[in-house]
Amino acid sequence: MSQTSGTAALVTNRSSWVTARSGKMSVWRRFRRHPGAIAGAIVLGLITLAVLLAPISPYDPETSDLAVRFQPPSWQHPMGTDALGRDLLTRVLYGGRISLLVGLLVVAISLAIGVPVGALAGFYGGRLDSILMRLTDMFLSLPAFLVLILLSAILREVDAPLIERNNVLTIGVVIGVLSWMTFARLVRAAFLTIREMDFVTAARCVGASNRRLIVTHILPNAIGPIIVEATLGLGYAIIEESGLSFLGFGIQPPTPSWGNLLSNAQEHLAKYPWLAIFPGLMIFLTIISANYIGDGLRDAFDPHKVLKKVGEV
Amino acid sequence: MTAYLARRLLQTVALLFLLSIVLFALVNLAPGGPLAGHGQSRHVRPERAAILKRQFGLDKSLPLQYVIWLAGNDWMKVDADGDGVADSYGTRKGILRGDFGFSFRTREPALKEIGQRLPNTILLMAVTMSVAILIAIPIGIISALRQYSIYDIAVTTFSFAGQAIPEFWLGLILILVFYATLKSPFSGEPLLPAGGMYTLGIGFSLGDRIKHLILPVATGALGWIAWYSRFLRSSMLDVIHQDYLRTARAKGLPERTVIYRHALRNAIIPLVTLLALDLPYLIGGTVFVEMIFSWPGMGRLYYQSALQRDYPVLLAILIIGATAIILSNLLADVLYAYVDPRIRYD
Amino acid sequence: MIRSRESTALSLVCLFALLLASLAGCGQATQTPQPQPTATSPAIAEPTATQPAPTAKPTATQPPPTLTAAPPEPTSVVIVIPEDPPSFNAIVADTGYDALVMELTMLGLTDIDPEGNIFPELAAELPTIDNGGVVVDEEAWTMEVIWKLRQDVQWQDGTPVTADDVVFTWNAIADPDTGTWMQGIDYIGGVAKVDDYTFVISYTGIYPGYLTQFGGEQLVIWPAHYCDAEQGFTAWDCARAPMSDGPYVLEEWVVGDHMIFARNPNYYKADKPAIGQVIVRIVPDATVRKTMLINGDADVDMWTTEPIVFDLKDEPNVQVSISPYPRWVLRLFFNLAAKGTVDPVASPHPILADVRVRQAIRMAIDVDTISQQIFYGYGTAVWTELFRPPYGCDIPGPKYDPEAAAALLESAGWIDQDGDSVRECHGCLNAEEGAPMEMELITYSDFGEPMLLAQQLIAEMAGKIGVKFELTVVEGSVLWATAEEGGIEQLGNFDVDLWDDGYSGTDPTDFLWELYAADAAEPDYGWNISRWINDDFNALLDEAYTLDEAVRKDVFCQMAAILDEQVPSILLFSVINAEAHSTRLEGIQSTTFDVVTWNAEDWSVK
Repeated sequence: MSQTSGTAALVTNRSSWVTARSGKMSVWRRFRRHPGAIAGAIVLGLITLAVLLAPISPYDPETSDLAVRFQPPSWQHPMGTDALGRDLLTRVLYGGRISLLVGLLVVAISLAIGVPVGALAGFYGGRLDSILMRLTDMFLSLPAFLVLILLSAILREVDAPLIERNNVLTIGVVIGVLSWMTFARLVRAAFLTIREMDFVTAARCVGASNRRLIVTHILPNAIGPIIVEATLGLGYAIIEESGLSFLGFGIQPPTPSWGNLLSNAQEHLAKYPWLAIFPGLMIFLTIISANYIGDGLRDAFDPHKVLKKVGEV
Repeated sequence: MTAYLARRLLQTVALLFLLSIVLFALVNLAPGGPLAGHGQSRHVRPERAAILKRQFGLDKSLPLQYVIWLAGNDWMKVDADGDGVADSYGTRKGILRGDFGFSFRTREPALKEIGQRLPNTILLMAVTMSVAILIAIPIGIISALRQYSIYDIAVTTFSFAGQAIPEFWLGLILILVFYATLKSPFSGEPLLPAGGMYTLGIGFSLGDRIKHLILPVATGALGWIAWYSRFLRSSMLDVIHQDYLRTARAKGLPERTVIYRHALRNAIIPLVTLLALDLPYLIGGTVFVEMIFSWPGMGRLYYQSALQRDYPVLLAILIIGATAIILSNLLADVLYAYVDPRIRYD
Repeated sequence: MIRSRESTALSLVCLFALLLASLAGCGQATQTPQPQPTATSPAIAEPTATQPAPTAKPTATQPPPTLTAAPPEPTSVVIVIPEDPPSFNAIVADTGYDALVMELTMLGLTDIDPEGNIFPELAAELPTIDNGGVVVDEEAWTMEVIWKLRQDVQWQDGTPVTADDVVFTWNAIADPDTGTWMQGIDYIGGVAKVDDYTFVISYTGIYPGYLTQFGGEQLVIWPAHYCDAEQGFTAWDCARAPMSDGPYVLEEWVVGDHMIFARNPNYYKADKPAIGQVIVRIVPDATVRKTMLINGDADVDMWTTEPIVFDLKDEPNVQVSISPYPRWVLRLFFNLAAKGTVDPVASPHPILADVRVRQAIRMAIDVDTISQQIFYGYGTAVWTELFRPPYGCDIPGPKYDPEAAAALLESAGWIDQDGDSVRECHGCLNAEEGAPMEMELITYSDFGEPMLLAQQLIAEMAGKIGVKFELTVVEGSVLWATAEEGGIEQLGNFDVDLWDDGYSGTDPTDFLWELYAADAAEPDYGWNISRWINDDFNALLDEAYTLDEAVRKDVFCQMAAILDEQVPSILLFSVINAEAHSTRLEGIQSTTFDVVTWNAEDWSVK
């Protein structure tokens, strides 16, 4: 679904990537006035902090303690224990590292592929644009989730340098390679519009090279929708990873990830619901926060929106 | 426009051809294969493996396999009985003539396997997406009209939440609540069924069909509702602030006319193309809903075929899915140009 | 202007979507089988008058109407399974689900009961040397088996089951184009009809498993007048729309959703089956199946796993039938060749080629803990391949003794000198000086969580004696693929391999050959993935091809003793073989040697 958001949004929001520094309020200040976005930023920040602090937990995420299997939440184990007696909170935090890492990796790869493709296509136009857009179309024509399953099966066994049955990298690459197209289209549309603007023409007259134009002049003004899409992409990546893990293709145990914690908890849902509630809650909070932040950013970058405080209708 | 269409169609064919190569390579590159651990006996006897390889056509080189998959092998001699001598003509016609081969798992034609499940997925997804749109439009519009009100915040939260809940998790919870736990106060039977498309042995009953659709549609539609309502809100917000609406108000038109006649129409335009782009989901369906709710559809077939490396069925589903996506993209672009005269393709 | 365009566009999209959706209405995947007339007997198209015929025309848009047949007892039983049977021909794909429905509808020459006793089905009696049914030519070292068929069995259309059907079945299997492999196929010289109810199978050697070759869990006799030999054994349509000679007849099959079976009025046992209708429903999710069982919407759950059995033990209306003997045993296989290679002599495994290391690892694993905790105690400890009747061997079980294991490792030259709790080689047999005792333990994901938990526990237990395991999980289809397809086992791409396996039926000979014979170590030829070569064992394997049961048992037990001492593999414990079922269902009995419908004709409802 996220793949189509860029195209449609950009067509209706053509003005949204014009430099947001024009207009009375800066992006940051407008963002600050969006309560949902602030809340989202705080929650996401807390989650990130928590997973970074995972090592201070007194429990090891992988060592078993068969005497305390399936304990409900208590003071010693705030989220309870799992099938091997491992502390769930610890596993959730370590799992968060993996899931967030996968999410960031996906976004990074999507940007790394999508932005250059879109920039070159939008800036140069003509044949290059045609070729790159057909390439984008080809990737867009692949039924995403189906191909995800295949790719994760293939790459998991590859013994290439760096990948080497490394789950996180594999999954990140796999999802990222199938989600850059939105960014490409977004960036291309932005470039198509912005390159016609006066300040670009002016810069060109002054003698700026193409590269300088792209990187220094146009790209910063296209940042808006890119950032918005990136926050949404984080949520998308986490959901895809959890779906893959549920089917058995994602991150493999004993490495915890929110996705495979959820999938292992399915069969115990009736008797030990905390096993499914907490990882599910973390996924939920993370994605909601990311979406709110994205929403706030979208409002912040659009100079046409008049931000009213809550309560003023 | 016709020139543009013709060119796009040509590009479509080229794209499909390229895709067929990519998908074929992808499917065959996945490690493991259909000869692995057939069934209960984890280990396939080499004698049986040899026979299977021959029967599946896997004893040839990959490029040759691709050609046969594409164009069939009834124009060449093959070794059907494993004696090393190619003495009879093959029986396959290739996908260019509509023969997608036979499933490795069931030995039935791959298209037949798909055909038996495709209608079920289309039914499920059509209902899901229709319900989603019907709910999302009013939600999104009102949310835009009352921006930043409590209502808007609630809807926004709900829409974000809907996209943040994994389907497989939600589906199971719904079953546990509505089937295992809650019982009808009248009959003591479970409120809603645990899955399947209909109750056996009672003949066709619309009410029964609807009952079986409620939970899967609810699970699947949540994400779509969230997505579409959010989109509509955004689209509507853009439209509301346009100058021509200000003109309409200045002309003295009642607010209601302004909103429903002018703003709404223009807000829905992008939705049309979005819908066209999402049409392929009618075919691809969703693996999770189908698995949890025992719905005999395409998603489940794909997952099962992927696990067992049933190449012909996998490829058939992928090609059909890709074709659907390409065609719907074309449809979306055409529709958009048709609807919005400002857009022109050269 | 925009108004009309946009509404046209909207209606276009809706029309397109509606078109697609209408396909859903048209194409209801109802496949109601109707025994089709073959070219040779066009007269037989409808069931005979004695059988009240349910409407058998495939209905395109509707699910079938209620049964028009009126069985004396209007009872119905629902079996739930996670996936569709690929066909009714169990030997082709061997998923178990095909055997489930095959056993409901068709008969083999013989079958096996839960105690391992072979009993006749289509055969009138079991041919043995004593009753003259088996004739051995001592000089030429060949044998002939003379089978007599029952004379009162009919196909559902009234045609009698005769020796023609047996010969037909054999020819179809043996067809080089479209046949398949079956156990002992190499030994069969030919199958010849003597008269309508007698036929002879001639063997080119002594094949001890002759009794269950054309029966048991995998093979039944197929109707010569109905199946199309042209289509071939592995793909013929009669495997999707079968003609029954068993207790039930297939009435309806909606692919992916359900199958409905009705009592076969032409069944040769007049008073059986007691239950009028059996419905098989496809429900992929295990938790949903469990919930249906509790709610009474399902009567039998096939192959219920330990966690579910454990969850169900307090449910008042659910019982669990457990087979008296298990089949699948959890096992660890060591790779005696270096990882990634297949020659144990040229490139022995630096750590595992030393038998002391293997014995030490066996002593370090607390089998009882894993079995009790992760598998809820439903498994029994198994430590030898020969533990099932009729060849149960008396091998003393391994002791759980981590101290002794540690001592053994020390004496084998694996000592932890740098204090990181992982041993290194200091005077060991094959590895370089200082090489750490680190290996990869691989298992497969399809089994589910308990296997993965067992893998982790094993790694922890090994860690306690200084052996470090990295854990890897792969799909089963990758683990067991052929070497060409990148199969991990065949390529030797592992150190230690954990999975469950066990032989079907009562004869372990083929199984033992596949896993432990010297020839079987060659990639894509056998499954001796340990690459364990032992001449004594091979010699004994040859001796097992005799009809003298006493000799066989003795030979098997000698082989078991060698395996126990050399430890190419460690067997841990058995995995449960059980079916959870509703308490109203009686007569059901899970069995290792077959699927649960082996005696469906004997089931009844309270």
